[in-house]
Amino acid sequence: MMANTMVETESPEEFIEEIEKAQNGLPKKIDANPKTVEKGLAKLVLTLIELIRKLLEKQAMRRVEAGSLSDEQIENVGETLMKLENKMEELKEIFGLKNEELNLNLGPLGDLM
Amino acid sequence: MKLYLYGIIDSSNQIKESIYGLKGAGVYNIPFCDIGVVVSEINQPMQKVTEGTVLEHEAVVENLMADFTVLPVRFQTLIEGRDNLLSTMQSYYRDFKDNLERLRDKFEFGIKVIWPADKIKENIIKTLNKEQQKKLKLGSSPSNKFMKDKFDKYKIDKEFEAKADKFIKVMDIFFSKFAAEKRIEKLKTENLLLDAVYLVEKDKESNFREAFEHIKSTRSDFKYLFSGPWPAYNFVVFSKQSGLLTDSQQIDLLNKVTQDQMLVGADSI
Repeated sequence: MMANTMVETESPEEFIEEIEKAQNGLPKKIDANPKTVEKGLAKLVLTLIELIRKLLEKQAMRRVEAGSLSDEQIENVGETLMKLENKMEELKEIFGLKNEELNLNLGPLGDLM
Repeated sequence: MKLYLYGIIDSSNQIKESIYGLKGAGVYNIPFCDIGVVVSEINQPMQKVTEGTVLEHEAVVENLMADFTVLPVRFQTLIEGRDNLLSTMQSYYRDFKDNLERLRDKFEFGIKVIWPADKIKENIIKTLNKEQQKKLKLGSSPSNKFMKDKFDKYKIDKEFEAKADKFIKVMDIFFSKFAAEKRIEKLKTENLLLDAVYLVEKDKESNFREAFEHIKSTRSDFKYLFSGPWPAYNFVVFSKQSGLLTDSQQIDLLNKVTQDQMLVGADSI
C-alpha cells in the first residue's frame, strides 16, 4: 500500500521557476579547472567582498535612519560606498561576472543577492 | 557488490510485501538489533540521475511509509558490502533509534506560497511616497544622491520584509496548531514568500489540510503548493556524539544483534 503522497498546486510552472531561481546560488563545488581557476577564485573573492560591502551599506542605512549621522558624515559615507560600488562593477566586468553569480547562501539569513 | 540504501525502519522483520527498487531489484530489510536498513543490491555504478530513478527511489520509501516509521536515506546512497553497512548501523544506532521514536506516526508536509511581489512593492512605494517626511533630505551632490537612492531602496526592502513576516506569522499560527515541528524559510526569492515543511501527526493530517484550505481561501491573489505526506526528510536530526559509542556501549549493542540478523542478505554479498 502506498502512502498517497501528492503535490497539489494550480500554478506548477510558477513554482518550478521560483524553485530553480532559489537554487541558482553558488555552486556546491569550487570550479578548480586549470582553464577557469582564475575566474573561479575571482568569483569567490568578489562574493566575499560583496558580502562585506552589503553589510557596510546596511549598517550605514540603519545609522541614517536612526539619525545618528550628520549631513557631512552622510555625504562622506555616500562617497565611500559609491566608489566601492563602482570598483566592484569594474572588477565584475574584468572577470566577466554577473551579479547573480556572486550569490551566497547565508543560511537562516537567506541569500546575499 | 554494493548495497543501495532507501531508508532506516523501526523494524527488524522482513518486509512482507514484495517491493522492487532501482532497476527492478528486490528490496529487503537488513536487521540491526530492533531496527533495520532497507536496501537493494546493485552491480554496476549508478547511472546519471533521471526522473525515473528518483521516482523509483521515492516509490520504495512511500511503500515503506505505509507500514513503518522511515528515516529516508538520501537518493543515490551506496555502501560497499554488508559489513560496512552493519558498522555504520552500529555507530549511528542511538541516533537512528532516537529519530525513529521522535518521528513515529508523523509525516512531513510541504507548503510553498508565492505572493505578488511586484504589486506588494508597488503599494509600499505608493505609501512611502505619501509619507514624504520619512524621506531623506540631502543636498544634490552625487554622493548625496547615491545615499538618497540607497536609503529609499532600504526603506522599501525593510517594509517588504516586514509585510512578509506579517503574512508568514498569520499562516504559521494556523499550521502550527496541528504540527509537532516546523522548518520555515522566508523569501527564498522575492516571489517565493514561504517555503515551509511541517511535521504532522498521522491523526492530525485532516486538520492540517483544513488549515491549509482555510489559508488558501483567504488570499486568492497568492499561489499555493501543498505536498505530502512525505517521510520526514527535513526532521531527521543527528546528535554531536554520533558514531562515538564507548567500548561498553558497543559490546552491549553487539550482544543484541542475533546470529540470524548477521546473516541476512549474506548469500549474495
